[in-house]
Amino acid sequence: MKSNRSHSYLLPPTSSLNIKAALIVAIAAFLLLFNVWPMSYLIFRSFVGEGGFTLETFKRIYTYPLNWNALRNTLITAGLSMVFGVMIAFPLAWLVGRTDMYGRKFFRTLFVMTYMVPPYVGAMAWLRLLNPRVGTMNVFLAKLFGLSENPFNIYTLGGLIWVLTTFYYPYAFITISRAMEKMDPSLEEASKISGASPLRTVMTVTFPIMLPSIVAAGLLVFVSAASCYGIPSIIGAPGQIDTITTRIIDYVYVGSAEGLNDATALAVSLMIIGNLVLYVSTFICGSRQYVTVSGKSTRPNIVELGKWRVPVTILVTLFALVVVVIPFATVAMTSFTKNLGKPLSSTNFTTRYWNILLTRKGILDTAKNSLIAASAAATFGIIISCVMAWLLTRTKAKGRQIPDFLITLGSGTPSVVIALALIMTMSGRFGINIYNTLTIMIVAYMVKYLLMGMRTVVSAMSQIHPSLEEAALISGAEWQRGFWDVTLPLIAPSVVAGWFLIFMPSFYELTMSTLLYSTDTKTIGYELFTYQTYHSQQTASAIATGILIMVVAVNWLLNKLTKGEFSI
Amino acid sequence: MSSITLTNITKYYGDVQVIQTFSEVFSDKEFITLLGPSGCGKTTMLRMIAGFERPTTGEIKIDDKIVSGLDVFVPPNLRNIGMVFQSYAVWPHMNVFNNVAYPLKIQKVAKSEITTRVENILEAVHLSPYISRMPNELSGGQQQRVALARALVSNPRVLLLDEPLSNLDAKLRETMRYEIKDIQKKFGITVVYVTHDQTEAIEMSDRVIVFNRGIVQQVDTPLNIYSHPANEFVADFIGKVSFVHGRASDGYIALDDGQKISCNGRKTGDVIAAVRPESVTVF
Amino acid sequence: MKKILLTLTLLCVFACAPAMAADKPKITIYTSMYEDIIEAMTQTLHEKFPAYDVEFFYGGTGTLQAKIAAERDTKKLGCDMLMVADPSYSLELKELGLLHPYISKEAENIALAYDPEGYWYPVRNLNMILAYNPEKFDKKDLPQSFKDFAADESVRGLISMPNPLTAGTALVALSALKDKYGYEYFDTLAANKPMIESGSVALTKLETGECKIIMILEESVLKKREEEDSELEVIYPTDGAICVPSPIMTITDEWSAHGNSKICEELTDWFLSPEGQSYIVKGWMHSVLKNPPAIPYDSINTADIIKDSMPVNWENCLRDRTDLRTNFEKAVKK
Repeated sequence: MKSNRSHSYLLPPTSSLNIKAALIVAIAAFLLLFNVWPMSYLIFRSFVGEGGFTLETFKRIYTYPLNWNALRNTLITAGLSMVFGVMIAFPLAWLVGRTDMYGRKFFRTLFVMTYMVPPYVGAMAWLRLLNPRVGTMNVFLAKLFGLSENPFNIYTLGGLIWVLTTFYYPYAFITISRAMEKMDPSLEEASKISGASPLRTVMTVTFPIMLPSIVAAGLLVFVSAASCYGIPSIIGAPGQIDTITTRIIDYVYVGSAEGLNDATALAVSLMIIGNLVLYVSTFICGSRQYVTVSGKSTRPNIVELGKWRVPVTILVTLFALVVVVIPFATVAMTSFTKNLGKPLSSTNFTTRYWNILLTRKGILDTAKNSLIAASAAATFGIIISCVMAWLLTRTKAKGRQIPDFLITLGSGTPSVVIALALIMTMSGRFGINIYNTLTIMIVAYMVKYLLMGMRTVVSAMSQIHPSLEEAALISGAEWQRGFWDVTLPLIAPSVVAGWFLIFMPSFYELTMSTLLYSTDTKTIGYELFTYQTYHSQQTASAIATGILIMVVAVNWLLNKLTKGEFSI
Repeated sequence: MSSITLTNITKYYGDVQVIQTFSEVFSDKEFITLLGPSGCGKTTMLRMIAGFERPTTGEIKIDDKIVSGLDVFVPPNLRNIGMVFQSYAVWPHMNVFNNVAYPLKIQKVAKSEITTRVENILEAVHLSPYISRMPNELSGGQQQRVALARALVSNPRVLLLDEPLSNLDAKLRETMRYEIKDIQKKFGITVVYVTHDQTEAIEMSDRVIVFNRGIVQQVDTPLNIYSHPANEFVADFIGKVSFVHGRASDGYIALDDGQKISCNGRKTGDVIAAVRPESVTVF
Repeated sequence: MKKILLTLTLLCVFACAPAMAADKPKITIYTSMYEDIIEAMTQTLHEKFPAYDVEFFYGGTGTLQAKIAAERDTKKLGCDMLMVADPSYSLELKELGLLHPYISKEAENIALAYDPEGYWYPVRNLNMILAYNPEKFDKKDLPQSFKDFAADESVRGLISMPNPLTAGTALVALSALKDKYGYEYFDTLAANKPMIESGSVALTKLETGECKIIMILEESVLKKREEEDSELEVIYPTDGAICVPSPIMTITDEWSAHGNSKICEELTDWFLSPEGQSYIVKGWMHSVLKNPPAIPYDSINTADIIKDSMPVNWENCLRDRTDLRTNFEKAVKK
C-alpha cells in the first residue's frame, strides 16, 4: 500500500513541522486539561479522606454487597448487550451494505435513526410494551399463542439487556457498515470465484476481514451500555436491579460531600473497566488495516441474494417493526393519550401535551440550550476530527497518536465519571471555573463523543488515495486549495455524518447533564427525563417524538438539498 | 527547452537508504524510463522530481532552476509538471471536463480559453465524446486518458508517468504505448516514465535507467542495455537470458566442459556470460 | 491554529455565558414543585413583582441537595431561595449557617410549626397517601393503611413507592413509618416487593393496571384528576397520611447567587399571605394557614388531614437520614 508512505509534501517542509507540532500540542493540551487531568484528580480524590491518604472510602464502598451486585449486573448486561448487539449489527450491516435486499437504503436510515433517539425514550416504550402484567405486546403475544400468562417481564436482567441491545446495536451497526463499505469488493469476488456460496464467503472472507471493526464495534457497545444511566434507572430500578451507574447517581443524590466521595470511589471501578476494554480494543485493532479505495473508480458490487431475497427482506422488516417501529409508535401514541389505562380513541385523545411542548418556556429554553451546546460540541469536535484525520492519515508527525489515544480514552470513560471529574476540577478550585456554564457541557460532550466523529472522518480520509490530492498539487493547486477542491468534497458526506454522530448524542445527553446542569443550562435530555419520571409521561413522550420528528426532518432535508449525497 | 539535472541525490527513510548517490542529466524532449522491480526506488525518484518527496541530500534542477536543494524547496504545485499516477487519480466527484480543466482553473485561465484547450486535449486523447461523463462511467483505459489529458492540458515542461499502463489489459497497453509516444512527440516535452515492464522501457525510451535496491545499475539507450548489460542483474532483468560460466580470451569464452563460444566482449579471465536466445545459432 | 481554537473557545464561553438580564434584580428559587405549578407561579410573580426577575429551577429534593453540596465547594450557591420538600433539610442548612433569618409578618397565621428565629417557614403542605384505580380494582379489596400496604400479600409485587434517595418526601415518610412501626416495617415492605420509582411512572402503572396500589403524594393524584379527568382516587390511610410541611428558606447574601435577601423577604411574605397560599392550593397542595383560603381540587379538609396524620419527628428525620437510606436499601434492594 503506497498510502503508508510519508506525505509530508502537503506543507512546505520548513513550516510544516511547527504547524503539525502546534496542532498536536493544542489538541493534546485540550484533552489533557479537560480529560486526563480531571480523571486523574478524581482518582486521587477518592483516596483522600478527612485526614489525608486513606483507603477507608474504598473499603466501605467495595465491601458493600449491593455495590458488588451492581458491578456484576453491569458486567452481565453490558457484556451480553455487546454480544447480541454485534450479532444483530453484523448481518444487518452486511445485508444493507452488500446485498440486493429490498429497501436497503430505507433500512439503513431506519437503523441509524435509532442512534438519533435518546435511549431512555426506548426504555419508556418497552416499559409499556413488556411489563409483566399489562404490557401491550405481552398481552398480545399471550393471546396469539394462547399462553396462560404473559411471556415476558421487562423488570429483569433479561429485560434490561433487551432494551440496552435494541438501543446500542446502532453503534455497532454504524461502525461495521462503515468498514463494510470500505472493503474491496474483489476480496469477496475472489472467494465466490473459488466456488464458495455467498454465506460461506461471508463467514470465511468478509467476517475475518471485518474482525477488527467488529471487535471495535462490540467494545463501543459494551462501554456505552456499561456507562448508560437512563435505561437502567427506568427499567432496572422498579425491579431493584442496580447497575454501577445507578449506584453512583444514588450516592451523588445523598447530597453530601461524603456521598460525592463515595460516588467517586465507585466510579473508579467503572473507569477501570472502561479503560481495560479500551486497552483490549487497541491491542486487537492495533494493526488497523484500511483497505483503501484508489482513484480508480469502480462500480459498487452487490451480492445477489437470489431466492433468499424475499424471505430476508421479510425478516429484516419484522426486526425493524419490533425494534424500531413499534417502540417509536408507542411513544408517539402515548403523547396523544389522555388516560394511559385506556386505548387511544377519539374520547381519549388530546393534543394538550403537544401544546405544552410548544409553549412551555422551560422546555423551549432547554431545547435551545441543548441545541447550542450540542452544535458547539459537534462543530469543535468535527474540526478536531478533521485535523486529527489529516495528522493520522497524511502525515508522519511524531506524537500524532497521542491525541488519538486521549480521544479514545475519553470515549472509554463512563459519562458519570467524566461529569464528576469535571465538577471537581472545573468549579474554580484550580483557577478554572466553567461550572454552571454551557461550556462545561460542551467540554463534557466533546470528551465523550469525539471518537465517533473522529473515526468517521479518519476512515473517510483513509479511503481517499493520496494520489488524488497529489494530482491536485501537481496541477498547480496549493495544498490548502487541493484540500478544499478535492479532499473536502470527497469526505464531506462523512464530515456531515460525523457532525451528526457527535451532535445527536450530545443533544439528548442525560447522564452527564444530570450532574452538570445549572439554572441557566438545563438541557433537553434532562428535561425529558424529569418529565418522564416526575411530571408527565405524555409530555415526555411528546418531547421525544418531537426530537424524532426533528431528526427525520433534518435527514430528509439534507437528502433533498444534496440530492441524496448526504444523509444520516 | 526542459532539462532535469540531478546531482548527488540520496534518499533515506529514517535510517534506511532507499536511493544511493545518483547524478544524471535528462535532456530536453528526452524520454527517460526508470526501470526496475517493485521497491527498487524508481517511484521514489519520480516523486522527488515531482516534489512529493524531498531528497535527503543533493540537488534537483529543472531548466537550470534549482527546485530542490540544501535550502531551496519548490513545492510540486509551483514546478509546472504534469503527472499521471498509477491509480490515475481521476477525481471521482468531477466529470471529465472538470477533471481536465482543473489545472487551468488554478492558473486562472479565462473560461472560454479553458473550454477550447480542454476540448483540444480531449480530442488528442480521443475522449471528446465523454466530456461530461463522470469517472465511474468510464472504463479503465478511458480514465487513464483523462489522467493523461489533465497532466498535459497546462503545457507542462515535464511529464511524469508512474506506471500508467500497469492497470490496463495487454491489448490496450500496446495501443497506449504508441499514443503516449505520439503525444510526447506532438507536445515535444521531456518525459520521465516509471515502469517495471521491460518491453515498455525498451520500446518507448530514448534512455533507460535501471534501478535495483536503490542503486542505479545502468544508464543507457535501450539497445545498449539489451546488448551490453552492465551486470548480471541488468542482463537478467531485460529480456530472456541464460548465464554460463567460463574463461574469456581472444574473442572466445571457454566453458567448463571445454566448449568454446565466440564473443565480442573486451573482458578476459573468469567471466559469467549472458547468452540471449536469439544470439544462439544452432547448426 | 492554536490561537484560532483558543479564540473560538473564548467566543463560545461568551456566547454561552448566561445572557445577563437587563437591570432587574434577579432571584433564583430552587424548588421541587411541579413544572406546571412553577409556570403558573412564574406568571403570577411576574405580574405581582414586575420590578424583579424571579426564576424557578426545578429538581427533585435529592437532586437539589446534591447540586447544593457540589456548589458549596465553589463557595457560592446557584440560588437565592429554596422551596424543597424535606423540612429536615432546613434544619441542616440552618446548622451550616447558609440561611438568612427573617421574621415574617404572616408567621402568626401559620397553622404548622416554623422556626422561631425565622430561618424557615412551612409554605406548602404535602401529604403522602395511597392511591388506586377504581376502574380496575375495588377499593374494599385493597389495603387501607400504610401498615397493610406493606403487609397485605394480595398486592405483593403490585405496589409502587417513590425513591427515598431522590425524593425528600419519601424519606420523611420512611422516617415516620420507622418511628411508628420500627425498622421491621422495611423488611415487611421489602417482602411485598414494591417497585421503587418516581411519581409519573407509578401513576401510569396505576392507570394501566400494572400496579394495584401506590404510595404517592396527594397532589400528583389530584392534578391528574383535574387536568386529565382521571378516575384515580386517593386513599387517606387509616394510620394517617404523612404530612410534609415543605419549607421556604432564604440563603444568606454571602452564599446566595444574587445577594438580594431583602427581595427574598418580600417574596416570603407573599408566599405566606392568603394570596400566595391560594396559588399553592391551585397547585393541588394544601395551605399552611390557620384559615386556608381553599382546599385543593377534590381533596378533603386540610385540618382533618393534619389532625389524623402520622406524627413526624423532624430531629429524627435529620439524624437518621443516612441510616434510613441504608436500611431501606439493604431491605428492599437485593
